[in-house]
Amino acid sequence: MGMKDSQVCADNSFTGKTIRKAGFRIVMFIFAVLFLLALSMLLGPSGIGIPDPDSFSGSAIISLRFSRLLMGMMTGAALSASGVVFQALLRNPLAEPYVLGVSGGAGLGATLSILAGSGLFVSLGLPVVAFIAAVLTLMVVYGIASQGSSGHPSVYSLILSGVIVSSICSSVIMFLVSTASVEGMHNVIWWMLGSLQPVSSGQQLLSAVLILGGLGGIWLLSPRLNALALGREMAHFQGLHADFVLVIGLLFATLLAATAVSLSGMIGFVGLIVPHVMRAFFGPDNRKLVPLAALGGGTFLVVCDALARTILAPIEIPVGVVTALAGGPFFLIILQRRMKQAWIA
Amino acid sequence: MKKNALTFRNVSAGYKHRKVLDNVSFTIMEGEFVSLIGPNGCGKSTLLKTAAALLKPLSGVVELFAQDVHRIKPALRASLLGVVPQKIESPMAFTVNQIVMNGRISSLGRWGIVSTHDHDLVERSMIYTDVLELRERYYTELSGGEQQRVALAMVLAQDPEIIMLDESISHLDINHRQEVLQILMKLNREKQMTILLVSHDLTLSASISDRFLLMDSGRLVKAGTPAEVLEPELLSTVYNCDLRVQQDPYTGYLQVLEAIDGLNRRKKLNRNVHVIAGGGSGIELYRRLLIEGYEVTTGVLNRLDSDAEAARALNIQVVLEQPFSPVSAGAIAEALQMIDSADTVILSHVPIGSGNLVNLQIASEALKRGKTVLLATGMVDRDYTEGKAALHLVTGLLMNGAFGWQSIQELMLHLQRHHQN
Repeated sequence: MGMKDSQVCADNSFTGKTIRKAGFRIVMFIFAVLFLLALSMLLGPSGIGIPDPDSFSGSAIISLRFSRLLMGMMTGAALSASGVVFQALLRNPLAEPYVLGVSGGAGLGATLSILAGSGLFVSLGLPVVAFIAAVLTLMVVYGIASQGSSGHPSVYSLILSGVIVSSICSSVIMFLVSTASVEGMHNVIWWMLGSLQPVSSGQQLLSAVLILGGLGGIWLLSPRLNALALGREMAHFQGLHADFVLVIGLLFATLLAATAVSLSGMIGFVGLIVPHVMRAFFGPDNRKLVPLAALGGGTFLVVCDALARTILAPIEIPVGVVTALAGGPFFLIILQRRMKQAWIA
Repeated sequence: MKKNALTFRNVSAGYKHRKVLDNVSFTIMEGEFVSLIGPNGCGKSTLLKTAAALLKPLSGVVELFAQDVHRIKPALRASLLGVVPQKIESPMAFTVNQIVMNGRISSLGRWGIVSTHDHDLVERSMIYTDVLELRERYYTELSGGEQQRVALAMVLAQDPEIIMLDESISHLDINHRQEVLQILMKLNREKQMTILLVSHDLTLSASISDRFLLMDSGRLVKAGTPAEVLEPELLSTVYNCDLRVQQDPYTGYLQVLEAIDGLNRRKKLNRNVHVIAGGGSGIELYRRLLIEGYEVTTGVLNRLDSDAEAARALNIQVVLEQPFSPVSAGAIAEALQMIDSADTVILSHVPIGSGNLVNLQIASEALKRGKTVLLATGMVDRDYTEGKAALHLVTGLLMNGAFGWQSIQELMLHLQRHHQN
């Protein structure tokens, strides 16, 4: 008999200083998020400060800034959370939507749908087509990587075939763009550069539903992600349907990445770096990491967007440029000091 | 009544193109401590994977408490069977606490809420494996032994009935291996936990296991008590090398030794050396002399002397005398015969009393017969004869051409020098 028979003790030591310390850190983080979000509401090409909400232009500016804030939160949260899942499931610090070809596939789907369709069909169909294309890409990547192994691809073969498929996708996108009409080319390139220009409210709503669903699904999965971070076999020994969790996790992460791509184009960096920085501060426990990374990724993108539209106003810099240019050095410094907490191997 | 914990019925298993397990059948009873042994690549790990339903058998059935392991729900299986792998690789900076909590993963339910019961099991596992103080440390920063105890704690938190360990202790330092083994023995004795240990250390396993399973190229060659399985001929065939099995003279435990003890290794020098020793002062000398390639004889020794045991184990020719009796004329003659065929006589750091003073007299006879005599110095401190007879003898010997030596290195240099001349 195991320990089932013995009494359950009323008290255990899972309370105390460390939990309070971690809690303090999280509270500080949430305050920082609220402060940064409020700050980004004050920034824009029309100037710094609160526009008069009673005037027509003022209220329009406020609503515009707010909808960009929502776009940024959704996109950033989706990309960052999806990066967390990819990194945990594949146990690799380089894993992210781009590396596995998911973003590339979603981008190809989105490009096709922009070039082929028009109007409402495009805006509502975009996330769906992007998701389907991303899933198909992931299946191809997984299929290629599984060749030769007994059904379980190694992480290295997954990433290798992901990188290959990803570059094939971007080549096809280039080809499509180069042969497209001027208007189509303009639309695709504008979308590809990545921007948080608000899309139609229908697409925003659909994307919000998909992203919230994806985040919720991942959060429910998060304790199991911890177990899978120790390897598929170990997770199996501990009583998980390891392959099932792996597939579901990849699907949710793909859904998030594809929706983000369809919403705001190809915005790099967030899905790779934000999870690492959050892990460096809050540890690798995915139950905490998933919501915190979503919050952090969203806020990061919102702040970058506020900078992008303010720095050279009235010219707007693509937000993807700011994420890497401004975020890069900042995150490098953080990671350099806390690398050990971010990733071991 | 004891139940069958784990049963293999005619199980063949393996991978796509390679059958690894070949018709394996055995039963492990509840509460047993079983060691699974066999050379590398014989299928031990595959057997564990098959037992844990990670691999589906190609044919045959694996039963966990009388249920087909592939029909048991994963969560239930985890509460019956825990597996400690060779090493847990954590790519991220999980704390010990977070790692051990993974043991409860399959019992958490859909919403992933950690109950007090879960916390209790985790804490108790950590207490049992003595890692509670480490719980806020990063797993990856721990020593190998600590990591293995944490892995064990995680598996214990599953609250399983059986624990299987896949060479989890082979790579540990001796002290860490002992720590982990002691925990395993405690679990086995106190909680009647069934343990299946894949092991490379046959001697260690023999001292703690109820039963051995011996595998060779995918087949189960023998199952039984350590004494039944640890047969030199069987082991030597399976491991394809010379192995000896002997009983520890003090504890009676079986010891498996690799027979690379000079007898097979040395290149013969064709030099005979006679050693006068006693009380354990000869053991290291014998070993070194054999390694260097000398033919060694020794005596006169008492039958129960530890040097006599060592000489017997090392196949050294020895003159024996009954314990607690004066050395007989016959024994002296035999020793002198050995000395006649030797080039050199060595006296170890043996204390001399009235009982073995005759050995010193044998040494001076050897010097008279023209042999090189090498005496361990420091007789002042180990002369227990009346009137310091031994000391007088030694002084006389040294004056007549015997040499003194202090350390074994010094002695070996002496020997080399003499043999070059």
